[in-house]
Amino acid sequence: MIRPILATLVAVFLCATAAAAQTAPAAEPAAESGLQSILQEHHDLVERASRQTVQTVLDALIDSEDEAVPAFLERWQARELYMRNADGLFVYVQNDRADPLVLLDIETGAELGTAGSRDLTALRPNRGVQTVIGAALVQFQLLADDPATRATALQAIERAPEPGQLHMIGRMLDEETDPALRDQAEWLLTRMTIAFAEDEAQRVAAIESLAGDVRVQARAALNPLLLTDRRVAEALPRDANIARVLEPGSAALPRADAYAMLVAAGLAPQEVTAQMRRDALIANITNGTVAGIQVHQLGTEAARARAYAALAAAGAVPPAPTEAEQTAALAAHVFYDEYREPSTAVTAAAAETVAAINTHVGLLEAIDLSLDGISLASIYFLAAIGLAITFGVMGVINMAHGEFIMMGAYTGYVVQLFIPDYTVSILVALPLAFAVTFGAGVAMERLVIRWLYSRPLETLLATFGISIALQQIVRQVFGAQARPFTAPDWLSGSLVFNDVVAISYIRIAIFGLGVLFFVLLWLILNKTRLGLEVRAVTQNPSMASSMGINPDRINMLTFGLGSGIAGIAGVAIGLFAQVTPELGTHYIVQSFMTVVVGGVGNIFGTLAGATLIGFLQKGIEWLNPSNTLAAQTYMILFVILFIQFRPRGIVALKGRAAGA
Amino acid sequence: MKKLLFSTALAALMTTGAHAEIRVGILHSLSGTMAISETTLRDVMLMLIEEQNARGGLLGEQIVPVVVDPASDWPLFAERARELLTVHDVDVIFGCWTSVSRKSVLPVIEELNGLMFYPVQYEGEESSRNVFYTGAAPNQQAIPAVDYFLNELGVTRFALLGTDYVYPRTTNRILEAYLLDHGIPQENIFVNYTPFGHSDWSSIVSDVVALGESGDQVGVISTINGDANVGFYNELAAQGVTADAIPVVAFSVGEEELAGLDTAPLVGHLAAWNYFESADTPENEAFIEAWHAFTGDPDRVTNDPMEAHYIGFNMWVNAVTQAGTTDVDAVRAAMYGQQVPNLTGGIATMLPNHHLTKPVLIGEIRADGQFDIISQTEPVPGDAWTDFLPESAVLESDWPGLGCGMYNTETQTCVQIQSNY
Amino acid sequence: MIALFRQNRSVPVMLAVLVIFAAFVTLLSEGAGTGALSTSLVKTLGMTTCLAIVALAMDMVWGYAGILSLGHMAFFALGGYMIGMWLMVARTEGVIAASLAQAPLPPTPQELTDAVAVQIFGVVGGNSFPWMWAFSHSLIAQLLLVVLVPGLLALVFGWLAFRSRVTGVYLSILTQAMTLALSLYLFQNDTGLRGNNGLSGLQNIPGAESVPQSLMSVWFLWASVAALALAYVFAAWVMAGKFGNVTRGIRDDEARVRFLGYPVEGYKLFVFTGTAIMAGIAGALYYPQAGIINPDEMAPIASIYLAVWVAIGGRGRLYGAVIGAVVVSLLSTWFTGGRAPDINLGFYTIQWVDWWTVLLGLGFVLVTLFAPKGLGGLIDLLARRTPQ
Repeated sequence: MIRPILATLVAVFLCATAAAAQTAPAAEPAAESGLQSILQEHHDLVERASRQTVQTVLDALIDSEDEAVPAFLERWQARELYMRNADGLFVYVQNDRADPLVLLDIETGAELGTAGSRDLTALRPNRGVQTVIGAALVQFQLLADDPATRATALQAIERAPEPGQLHMIGRMLDEETDPALRDQAEWLLTRMTIAFAEDEAQRVAAIESLAGDVRVQARAALNPLLLTDRRVAEALPRDANIARVLEPGSAALPRADAYAMLVAAGLAPQEVTAQMRRDALIANITNGTVAGIQVHQLGTEAARARAYAALAAAGAVPPAPTEAEQTAALAAHVFYDEYREPSTAVTAAAAETVAAINTHVGLLEAIDLSLDGISLASIYFLAAIGLAITFGVMGVINMAHGEFIMMGAYTGYVVQLFIPDYTVSILVALPLAFAVTFGAGVAMERLVIRWLYSRPLETLLATFGISIALQQIVRQVFGAQARPFTAPDWLSGSLVFNDVVAISYIRIAIFGLGVLFFVLLWLILNKTRLGLEVRAVTQNPSMASSMGINPDRINMLTFGLGSGIAGIAGVAIGLFAQVTPELGTHYIVQSFMTVVVGGVGNIFGTLAGATLIGFLQKGIEWLNPSNTLAAQTYMILFVILFIQFRPRGIVALKGRAAGA
Repeated sequence: MKKLLFSTALAALMTTGAHAEIRVGILHSLSGTMAISETTLRDVMLMLIEEQNARGGLLGEQIVPVVVDPASDWPLFAERARELLTVHDVDVIFGCWTSVSRKSVLPVIEELNGLMFYPVQYEGEESSRNVFYTGAAPNQQAIPAVDYFLNELGVTRFALLGTDYVYPRTTNRILEAYLLDHGIPQENIFVNYTPFGHSDWSSIVSDVVALGESGDQVGVISTINGDANVGFYNELAAQGVTADAIPVVAFSVGEEELAGLDTAPLVGHLAAWNYFESADTPENEAFIEAWHAFTGDPDRVTNDPMEAHYIGFNMWVNAVTQAGTTDVDAVRAAMYGQQVPNLTGGIATMLPNHHLTKPVLIGEIRADGQFDIISQTEPVPGDAWTDFLPESAVLESDWPGLGCGMYNTETQTCVQIQSNY
Repeated sequence: MIALFRQNRSVPVMLAVLVIFAAFVTLLSEGAGTGALSTSLVKTLGMTTCLAIVALAMDMVWGYAGILSLGHMAFFALGGYMIGMWLMVARTEGVIAASLAQAPLPPTPQELTDAVAVQIFGVVGGNSFPWMWAFSHSLIAQLLLVVLVPGLLALVFGWLAFRSRVTGVYLSILTQAMTLALSLYLFQNDTGLRGNNGLSGLQNIPGAESVPQSLMSVWFLWASVAALALAYVFAAWVMAGKFGNVTRGIRDDEARVRFLGYPVEGYKLFVFTGTAIMAGIAGALYYPQAGIINPDEMAPIASIYLAVWVAIGGRGRLYGAVIGAVVVSLLSTWFTGGRAPDINLGFYTIQWVDWWTVLLGLGFVLVTLFAPKGLGGLIDLLARRTPQ
């Protein structure tokens, strides 16, 4: 009885101050509103909502059994609640883009006047609070008519399962007809049975039903059952669910750790570390001496040990336990891991199921790793294939190859500025990037490269100059920041086989592009007149020209082709990596290595090189997942060594062509 | 044309010789890998100086900016700093981004008793007599963000992903110690380092997703630097990692970095900074308006290091006005306790350890590339030496009081007056 | 010696130029002269001199022996790292000893070492010395390592590569891969050389704290000039004799020289290793002037720049390398130093800090195309025109 009166008083008082503060005439908010008054009572908890404290507010709201509560909670969760700064009144706004904002009463929806954006504070409950609100909403939503609402409720349970929800799901399943929702609810039921059910047999059955399930969530349901605590005791407790007994000094429990556990449990005296000894000595300095030893002599560990022993003998400090005492203390106790789950039947079933799942997952992980390897290999292949033509076939070291890749990516970005449809823009960007870099390649060949065919090492210098100039020009034109180049929807997302094996569509597309170019190039080089002429010019330019082939034209076209492919690779790489002026520099050294490792002058070689490097890098990364940089280092070291033993690469040309 | 060139050269020489005006050195890379971030800071300094000159300059004189390009080359930073101080005779330097560039400049600045304002969030563990750190120390960015993960999102398993350099390394070391203190066991902390500009993220993201098999709530703390973020977030989106399933909080991703991304799949992931462009205050509105007018580009975003320069420059102007001179020692003495309003509300105060008090903001990425500010703390005083590492916890920095930036409170001695570079 | 001077007139000229240059800079320096040249300029000149040494090495290995090595800047940086380790340890030891002297108990040797290690490696999360710092407390040992580390690396790498007859472009790419692997290795924070942070504060020489940098820069300039002079005489001497002839022969036609019975691999290995040691020594002189060394210094691009300096200066003539290194690095300093005047075209202002790299890049192209003999070629022309 007291509460509503108080609340009314508060509300009236607040309205009075609000009226005083507001210059704009405002309609009176519904002063009798139960909702508003409950919120005002917990004003701070609402304004600065935290996952850890918001439950108080929610309980108060739900206890009030006010009809408006579910709708209010949904809007609060959706971050539609505002607070008027002047008086702390909670309101909705009509349209959050309007200026000034039109305020609405949270209960009646009546207009309460207007306010500028700075007169209001948007109350944005964070994700944690949203989750808690979602959990509170479950009871209103789980049996709702709208399947979408029921789905929301199931998601909320999934995010924060609580024991009380177990029977709610059971009730829902009795009536649920939507097959997708049924599946989800059944899965939740299994999961929550494992976690919360009282009946041991039920739990074991639920655990066993997950056998062979490789979902992350299935493992997430089982693994917590196997959590253990490490304990020490004088003898093994009889009723505990013990996972394993540990031997001090073994790999699982080093001697020092075991002794530290004894110390922490108060079962053995503290070891004296160098630091503790130093502090003890300092604390016992009297007139420049410690236990009769001059302070300036205490500059060695041995002297400090003597001084400490003397102090201990005098009883000034606790004596350090000897080695034998430590061993005895360790021998007198037993160390073991104890399951947090008390039921042995449950832990045994869980351990068995998890072991089976993990074997399966390990296998799948190997498949996933291979997919990653293929994907990386196809990226390297795509980046290097253009180089395989210009360097491998023509012998030109094009340091600006990376910049052609970069130009391709920027072409994609520019196309998207003009064509907002992502699908169309990609389809336009691919040929356009080819055209742009083909043109750039031809221009470079005509202006620079062709004067340097007799001096191949110097193409390195000239093209390096072009490379740094291009980079800086792009930086000037487009800015140094990364530019957005977005994949269309059908390329975003992943092809998911299960929770372990998945690969993103962009990588599949890159793989496809790699295969396409491999086939295309092979056909061009081996089945067309152009290819024949290219090979002729490569092997003997003067002979070729005497046969009526124009080597100038062939060189120009070959170089253009290699550059054009780099442009297309740029579009592909730009889709999954970052479009910056330095894009090319990340690929140039790897591309050269790919070509050299694979064997020059042969697109099969490039394929082999890219495959080797891609798989190698992924393999090393897998061995040491916390340091990608190390993987790259060892990969390059391997390549260096590899070339020592196969200087002509994996697929080496034989015979005369090898000398070209 | 030749004559014109010659006369410009002559004019340049003459201005070098006579320096009646106040000179401000700007030491930010305009080329090379760091240009991506630092060019903006040069622009914001030019804008602030132009505004100050429009207000009548400083001590009745015009402020002349001296822009040099250290070209993302760390030794060149030291060389350029020496040039700024000895050849161009600048009164103050605003500059550096990476920690290694700052470490390169430190010995020169300390030797020549220069004054530098460093505007970027960094790993702490430093307090130089000659540098004012206007970016965040770890306790002003990383620790509050982790608290948010622990308390609000209930994260119990952490993936610390970073670029392999000193800021992520030190920050992660502090965070690991902090998490262990807060009951997160070592096996629940996954750490990975990648090179600058890394783009192949698929297996790392898979590893993070797989962490969920323990049944813990997984959260990612990202100190991934610069443009490597583009690939990282693209991969998160491709693997369908939503903020609900695995939240990611980043310390190096701001409005500028998001400009290179399709943010739609990233909505809800987090960043922790001391400033977001979306902060709704009159100061910020004026700042953004001036920035758009200055750059002539209504789409140029603002970011946290820009605010740091804004605060640093205004503090320096106030200190110079108060001291009545640009003499470094006088200005330094006047700097302590200087107060300048933050762009996000509240007041920034310069502390005796050369760090600022700043509020910590946590923002959720919106679809438009801006951030929803979902949490804003009271101003947090920056801590030069972190309290969460045993060897640093005993250290203290108090220049006006103790005359020392690295004072060991245990042995009660000043470990060093000059910095350990 | 006299014979060498007669045979290669550039040697006396270069020695004279170097002495005059060093004396001139000293007289105008802040530390020992009128102060017309700023200390930063003196440092730049000293560092440029070191770059000229490594360019000289590059010229020997590329211009004379025909091996386009893209790894010599890695050897240069390794030399810098070796001396940098001693500089850091000795300096930190001084600081720590002074600080611990005030402690209530005298420090044990272990405590002293630990405190130094925390100071140096705290920044990368370490608290003890990695194995590669075993000799870092000894200046003599580290000076030996300045020679040994780049030398041994070049010896092993060269032996492997030359033995497998990896030549030409392949060798270039292989050396580039080596450089990249080395820099990636050092970039890792836990490999013991402080990762991306590298070693810094190297300009403060332990034991010479009282010498101001203005004077220190002059000392280092003289040391660098002396090293360049020695390197120049050595290079001229080596390349003047039979060794030089065989080396040039290998460059021009390796197979023919091999058929003549010369151990081609041995010659190449000698040049490769010897120049790597030269590069290492140059690096050990360079980084105490630069003040900081980190893995970026040995990024592949640095070695490409080195090749470009030599090409611009003119390969196969020793003074060409020196000229190339000096001209390009001083121009870079001037253009990026903010002192080059902007050019206002009315509609667009060319700011040299922005456009200098473009100019540099196009410069490489033009030199390669139109002046294959580089700037040194111009000097040859002038020298020929002077009456006999």
